[in-house]
Amino acid sequence: MSAPKPSERGHSLLASGTAVSTTRFPRSVYSHGTEPDARFSLANERTFLAWVRTALALVAGGVALEVLGLDLHTGLRLAASLVLIGVGILTPVLAWRNWARTERAIRGGEPLPTSMTGPLVAVAVSASSLLVLLAILLR
Amino acid sequence: MSNTPSAMGTAPDPGLQPERTELAWRRTALALALLSLVSMRLLPEAFGSEWWALVGAAGLVAAAVVWGLAHRRARTVTAMLADVGVRGRMPGAALLFGLAGVTCAIGVTGAITVFVVSASALQ
Repeated sequence: MSAPKPSERGHSLLASGTAVSTTRFPRSVYSHGTEPDARFSLANERTFLAWVRTALALVAGGVALEVLGLDLHTGLRLAASLVLIGVGILTPVLAWRNWARTERAIRGGEPLPTSMTGPLVAVAVSASSLLVLLAILLR
Repeated sequence: MSNTPSAMGTAPDPGLQPERTELAWRRTALALALLSLVSMRLLPEAFGSEWWALVGAAGLVAAAVVWGLAHRRARTVTAMLADVGVRGRMPGAALLFGLAGVTCAIGVTGAITVFVVSASALQ
């Protein structure tokens, strides 16, 4: 831990009133920079949560596509379902990575990192839609 | 402690950021609970054993835990904003990490379900 002085001061101020552990998870984020404007951290947190809900929707859509027993080409239907679920598994991993990189950048006053999660989800949903279209045409 | 308004009835942050963040957590917990309920119907049928409903039950418990911990987190943040102001110390991100893990596990469960359902449909 090599937290600079301003963050240590912020910590001791709060330690008097609220119980907060001295080291925070993940350390790779909180050992960097100083305490930022909490409103930026909260916005970063909400972005993470929005991606988690997106992941849940992708998985639900993928499972529904296969389980509802729709009269489609079975191979293409399965492929469309697996594309949605695959990206649904990947999204929370990327969401966590983006949260951590963004929080680090906010703490260091650095430019925010770019993320490929949006393009990835867009490509996956498009591919899955095309597969469903083909599955309708070739049933 | 600081010149941030913390008198009764005055929001520590006029943008209501802790409230908005707690509502985002609640939406997420509700989505989790909804999927768990659906899976309690779905998984026993797909795998041919009532025991698989326990996976959905575990999901419901996870949703309740997320709801509760998010509420505690929101209270901590609100108190921090009132006491110290916007440069105060935010709680750590273990809850976020845990939620990402639970979401991945749900995805893997979904993938297994799809494999089992498609395999049984072929027979």
